[in-house]
Amino acid sequence: MAWELASFPAELMAPVPDLEGVDVQVVRGGEPVRLTHVLDAVEPRARPDGRSAFPLQGCAGEGRTNRLDDVVVFSCLDFPAEERTLHEQESVVDLAGPGAVLTPYAAGTNVVLTFGRRNDLGNEELEAWARGTTLAVAEELARPTLAAQSADLERFELGAVDPSLPAIVALVQLSDLGPLYYQFVYGVPAGAADLPRVVDPAELLDGAVTCGEYHWAALRNPTIVFQRNALVRALYREHGRRLCFAGVVLMRGYEQSAADKQRAAAAAAETAARLGADGAIVTTDAGGNSHTDVMLTVRACEEVGIRTTAIVAEMADPDSTSSGLTDWVPEADSIVSAGNAEELVPAWTPARVLGGDTLLDGAPAADPRPIPVRNYLGATNQTGQHALTATTW
Amino acid sequence: MVRAVHYLNQFFAGLGGEEAAGTPPTRLDGPVGPGRGLAAELDGIEVVATLACGDDYFGEHEEEALARLLDFLEAERPELLVAGPAFGSGRYGLACARISRTASERLGIPALAAMHEENPGVAVANGAVLIAATAGNVAGMREALPRMARLAEALVSGRALGPPAQEGYLPRGFRRNELAEKPGAERALDLLLAKLAGDVGSEVAGGFDRVPPPPPVGDLSRALVALVTEAGCVPQGNPDRLPTIRARGWLRYELGGAPRLEPGRYESVHGGFDVSLANEDPNRLVPLDTVRTLVAEGRLGRLHDVYYTTTGNGTPVAAATRFGREIAAELTDAGVEAVLLSGT
Repeated sequence: MAWELASFPAELMAPVPDLEGVDVQVVRGGEPVRLTHVLDAVEPRARPDGRSAFPLQGCAGEGRTNRLDDVVVFSCLDFPAEERTLHEQESVVDLAGPGAVLTPYAAGTNVVLTFGRRNDLGNEELEAWARGTTLAVAEELARPTLAAQSADLERFELGAVDPSLPAIVALVQLSDLGPLYYQFVYGVPAGAADLPRVVDPAELLDGAVTCGEYHWAALRNPTIVFQRNALVRALYREHGRRLCFAGVVLMRGYEQSAADKQRAAAAAAETAARLGADGAIVTTDAGGNSHTDVMLTVRACEEVGIRTTAIVAEMADPDSTSSGLTDWVPEADSIVSAGNAEELVPAWTPARVLGGDTLLDGAPAADPRPIPVRNYLGATNQTGQHALTATTW
Repeated sequence: MVRAVHYLNQFFAGLGGEEAAGTPPTRLDGPVGPGRGLAAELDGIEVVATLACGDDYFGEHEEEALARLLDFLEAERPELLVAGPAFGSGRYGLACARISRTASERLGIPALAAMHEENPGVAVANGAVLIAATAGNVAGMREALPRMARLAEALVSGRALGPPAQEGYLPRGFRRNELAEKPGAERALDLLLAKLAGDVGSEVAGGFDRVPPPPPVGDLSRALVALVTEAGCVPQGNPDRLPTIRARGWLRYELGGAPRLEPGRYESVHGGFDVSLANEDPNRLVPLDTVRTLVAEGRLGRLHDVYYTTTGNGTPVAAATRFGREIAAELTDAGVEAVLLSGT
């Protein structure tokens, strides 16, 4: 398959539509603004052939897709606490100050949608409303590109290469811990999406996977991380040079029993083996027990002769020299650190707060106080999107 | 001037070479040997005394040597201890690490040691002591002293240290964020391709403690059993404000002879898992109902009428180890012989 991604300047962005029950603001990177209760970040995309930029059928990664450069749609929603099934989920984005470096994708134009609470909707329905609306707005904003000339065009295609190059697979973990805590594959929760599943790498870049996982903010993979996925792009770039890009396997994380975890890990390794993998990069979604899934996957791959490198975030107490890994197996001898989510970001006073004035712990969001990296959306995302890392001091 | 004490071995204190390695702890006035060079570098810090000990004496009579040295140290009422530089010398490095660690942990005196990164003293310090990096032998003295002086000044003033390579100290094990030159994805590819070529590298060190299972309980039908959990199970409303993540301690609640944990009277505040099913029936976290049945059937002896709880979520290993020790001490005092530890 071949897929083309056409880039267009931000100036082409359509006027943001009025939406009932949603506060819409446009802010730019560098402004003294803090976003709170952030669910997701999405790059505006539209398809000239009329198909959805976030399709519900398996038809991403073909033909052409248009993207708006340097524009991000953020969705913010404070779920009613009494229905929240997980306790900690504060998620912020700072457009300036010391935390801005943690969300480099917010440096341009940011369209911030703050979804109000609605008495007629429970948390799951609120989530579906916010997610659906956000993706629709992202498509709407990119619509003017359909009548414009692109500034740049990239072509994604995997041709035949020197068979002596090592075959590398990306094992992309998607978590499913129930409503509010699952990623979507073509609109279907990861747990119901027949994982592990081989997809064309371009499908991942073209909206096949969207975010609905709202646990630890920093360890989250927002939709934009899949759309702009640095790992898949690097693998395309190196295809035929240093390696043969043998495919992307979407695999399940957050299985809930030891047996299911073992099974998911073994199935992912088997799928990678079927693709002829010599090596695999294992990415992580969310934290805690998904790290056990990653370690088991690394072990399962190494056992069938596939060499692995895993990407994980660390959660090391800043005042302690204890390990920041939740789990580890001896086979995991090659790990990339996506940063230490427990480090504190120095206090900063935003001039303006969007998304909600009170943090989930009850503190005013504008108060100058240190906030842990773990509360910054996608800051330590574990697909290798950013340059953040941790080193030993 | 800030009062500092300097520790040296017999050789650097001028007491003699290998033939004097059995010298017991000794106190000397002011700076001695390399201490003079150090004193000349220090700004606002005065070396009031030098403590010295033979390398063999320290190694063979460690407890006695430490006790004597600490007595000397306390008598000086110092605000800083500097030990070394020991360079690559193993016995000297071990002594520097031990006295530095003990001074800071027991007496609360900030301590700086100095040695080569491969000195076995580094492992003894285990991150608990700041160590200035030095060359492997005494040829590195000229470079070591100003570096030690700057680090000593930072310790005394409370200045936050920069990265190890920049400041010249050995990494202690804290994980600090920085921006790498390449995104994680590209670093992962580099690591993987190198690994396939036989060169294995990692940005994160592994290595976990494996806790050996204890021997089985002799006779459960006579044992006093306690319930302990890290599931964040607390009385409804979380009256003692157990954190949802990174708990700093643990809590204990009396069961009052209750047959089970009633839904609505207990809840989980754990931030790491979906608590819906747990709150529907808190016995799923702390299986009081089942344990009561087992006691009634005579399969368990008695149940300790207090349960212990914390949130096992993002807890540093060192903190979790402390919780375990503290809880175990209380349970041992109460005569508890077995614990049912429910994890999530």
